[in-house]
Amino acid sequence: MTKKCLALLCAPFLLAALASCDTSSFGNISQHIGTAMTVVDQTSKAARPISDEEEYYVGRAVAAKILGSYQLTTNAQLTRYVNLIGRTVALNSDKPYTYGGYHFAILETNEINAFAAPGGTIFITSGMIRTTASEDELAAVLAHEAAHISKRDGIAAIKSARWTEALTVIGTTAARNYTSGEVSQLVSLFEGSIDDVFKTLVVNGYGRSQEYAADESAVQTLAKCGYDPRALLSFLKRLEQRSGSSGGGITATHPATADRIENISGKIPSTAQIHPRAIEARAVRYGAAVR
Amino acid sequence: MMKKAIFLSLIMVFTATAALADTVTVITKENAIREYAKFFAPVKANVRYNDRLEALSMEGDWYKVKCGPSIGYIHRSAVEKRVVAVPASYSRKGSSVSESEAALAGKGFNPQVEATYKKQHPEMKFGLVDSVERYPVPERDIAQFIVAGGLRQP
Repeated sequence: MTKKCLALLCAPFLLAALASCDTSSFGNISQHIGTAMTVVDQTSKAARPISDEEEYYVGRAVAAKILGSYQLTTNAQLTRYVNLIGRTVALNSDKPYTYGGYHFAILETNEINAFAAPGGTIFITSGMIRTTASEDELAAVLAHEAAHISKRDGIAAIKSARWTEALTVIGTTAARNYTSGEVSQLVSLFEGSIDDVFKTLVVNGYGRSQEYAADESAVQTLAKCGYDPRALLSFLKRLEQRSGSSGGGITATHPATADRIENISGKIPSTAQIHPRAIEARAVRYGAAVR
Repeated sequence: MMKKAIFLSLIMVFTATAALADTVTVITKENAIREYAKFFAPVKANVRYNDRLEALSMEGDWYKVKCGPSIGYIHRSAVEKRVVAVPASYSRKGSSVSESEAALAGKGFNPQVEATYKKQHPEMKFGLVDSVERYPVPERDIAQFIVAGGLRQP
């Protein structure tokens, strides 16, 4: 129920209270309105979603867990290059700003995969980077991950019962510090939430519809950037040829590549031809950073 | 009877005034008010999480806002619109943040929860996460990268 509806429902009670109250001071009226607004606000927050700030803290912990399983690359040039492409893609995504911003990091492994931790930290493996053939394809992979962030797919992996339980601890009145008992309960729920997201990202993967939606969003983002949106398709076709050789990775956490190709094939937006000088400039910097 | 009618009229005016006061609240750790509605436009003022800005109009994906003496633009994804304004007596004293907004700020999974979790799980690589988050990518470099690669300015 929306705040407006709740406010309308509360209005008769407020007026009745006013009609019966001592109207000797304007301060009393203000107090009554304040009380009514509190009721409206608390009721509307009873089943609120996870805020962007909370998503950020869950994402940090998920990222910390991922970095417990993989090594960060020491390749400074490649890190800078991936960050520049990633930030360009993020600015053109459906959600250019998140609470803590977008960050991109490379995991040093032959496994072919990429992960979007809730809130904005995106990991791509060096194996995945080596599977791309151009800057546009690398941008396509990052745009797909940025779409998972803007659609909050990671945070959606948290079991609803867990979040409902967290809300009962969090309560509805303003407070930044919790008692030790409350913190202990929240930490346990926090830990469970991290496990929910981690399992989805690294072990089980998102649902088929979430992956298709991320692909569809990625081609739109690529077009907005000025990248070739067909790059996602060419990348998926190469991935399909190589599928199975990586042992797990993206083949374990994503729908069959052939299905993704079939889904996206008719949904590539038409764009103006890219200037040959731009193609050349991208090829040169891709070659310098990746090969 | 007359008194009650006057007070009821006052409430209606009071409520209408409150509803008209349109504000947006910053929902990113930090952000900027830009001179015009573009990502790389010059910065007129810096804002932080939970700062409230007066929304003047909307231009595409950008809000034209007033922040202190500065008027400029902020992207819609950096703010949250709150149409239900609240009376002054309902706001926290000495703060620009109303209680309804502050109720969410720092609540739930917050730095206190993360700190306790970290103590219980020293094996978690939060130090590396901090280094990933601190990796500098200046706006100027992104803008140059876009131009050099023949990409479109967002």
